[in-house]
Amino acid sequence: MIGFGFIGRHLAQALYVKRDVLKKVDKGFKLVGVGEIDGCAYNEKGLNLEELASIKKLSGCKDFSKGKTSVELIEDSGADIMIETTPTNIKDGQPGLTHIEKALEEGMHVVTSNKGPMVVAFKKLTDLAKKKACELRYEATVAGALPVFSLVRDCLRGDKILKISGILNGTSNYILSRMYFEGMSFELALREAQERGFTEADPSYDIEGIDPACKVVILANALMDRNVKFEDVERIGIRRVTPEAVNLAKRAGYAIKLIGTVDETLEVAPKLILENHPLCVHGTLNALHLEADLAGEITVIGYGAGKETVSAIMNDIISIVKTSA
Amino acid sequence: MKFDLTLGLVDRPGQLLKALEPIAKNGGNLIYILHEREKITGGFIPVSLVVDFPTVESFDRTKRELEKRGVSIIKSEEIIEKSLITCILVGRIDMEKLTESDIEGMKIINFEASAPTSKEACIRLNIEAPVKAVGKIMSRLKEMAKKEDAILISSV
Repeated sequence: MIGFGFIGRHLAQALYVKRDVLKKVDKGFKLVGVGEIDGCAYNEKGLNLEELASIKKLSGCKDFSKGKTSVELIEDSGADIMIETTPTNIKDGQPGLTHIEKALEEGMHVVTSNKGPMVVAFKKLTDLAKKKACELRYEATVAGALPVFSLVRDCLRGDKILKISGILNGTSNYILSRMYFEGMSFELALREAQERGFTEADPSYDIEGIDPACKVVILANALMDRNVKFEDVERIGIRRVTPEAVNLAKRAGYAIKLIGTVDETLEVAPKLILENHPLCVHGTLNALHLEADLAGEITVIGYGAGKETVSAIMNDIISIVKTSA
Repeated sequence: MKFDLTLGLVDRPGQLLKALEPIAKNGGNLIYILHEREKITGGFIPVSLVVDFPTVESFDRTKRELEKRGVSIIKSEEIIEKSLITCILVGRIDMEKLTESDIEGMKIINFEASAPTSKEACIRLNIEAPVKAVGKIMSRLKEMAKKEDAILISSV
């Protein structure tokens, strides 16, 4: 596993708590290494998951070696699966992109929660995985715990996806929900979201629609066989949504939500959603609405960020272990 | 495309069949028919039909053939299916410009404006538009909003 931040630490805890589930799938399942920016923890017999689950910094692990790089860990580990959980960088996808490329070159399956590499190099990485006969799974990159790619891959095998729309950012949904229910100004709702720790230090990633636009790119490329880039997404954030606009919408039976759309267009923009529409969910919830040629309309709702995201990573890991067993 | 037709048929056996044959021959799918014998006027029975034709050409061909057969056409017009759209504009909005805009097919049914507490004005529009033109109309509105540095919040 590369990255021992919020997601990495919660994944370590989940691997410890679910160790019996994992052993049932593969008796020999073990986590042999964890990479961080200042060094790596490595033990070929398997790291102590109980210890990993209890520490905040990787340097607190007894198998930690300062200075060893994550790329060196990937090269030396001999692992079957590399899990990438480093922070998203949508400019060049680094360092996650290098980690994923390296792992695939080494013949490892990859599970990533990091959107960056999948936004900047989706086709390159999926082609490389195919060439190396490796699995590349990225369920956690879009809408956290919501099963989206697995749903389409495993349950809609005969369907063609015609349109995807959804609330793909919990922070902007929290802000718009507070404006809707409490009549707050955008600025006040944003401040509240910041105080509650729902936003990044720089909130523009959420409120300018950058984060949902990344997800739109991955959805379009993965589920609708497109080859699009971040720059192809038309994007309007929620900064200019006023309490008056929210109120006018409400008086006509609508809520305003930041919606990502993939059809003939690629768009992230505030939209009016009828209050009884399945996409009209509030708080930090995410929702994704698929239109398929056979199944018709399907909506999934759940938490798109936070510790729930490890559910998607765990499912990807177990799926790979099961298919390669 | 659907067409609303009213034909005047002579009150003689076989006239309805004579009128329906060209419709079927040109691919028209009969959706509705009303034979109003009690409204006979000047020896003609009005028959109202709604027919779905594959193209305008097939409809025009049918009309010519009906005329050739001596069937009188009292009314014939395309049924334009309309959509009601709600959207909100936020920013500097020139209502005069909006109502005088030449966006084809767009009809503003009503609007509600909100007294702004910030510098951004805000207006909710209810628009009627032909179903087939909705995409085009929304694109034009979006362009117009962009030009005026406003944002368009359209409905899903």
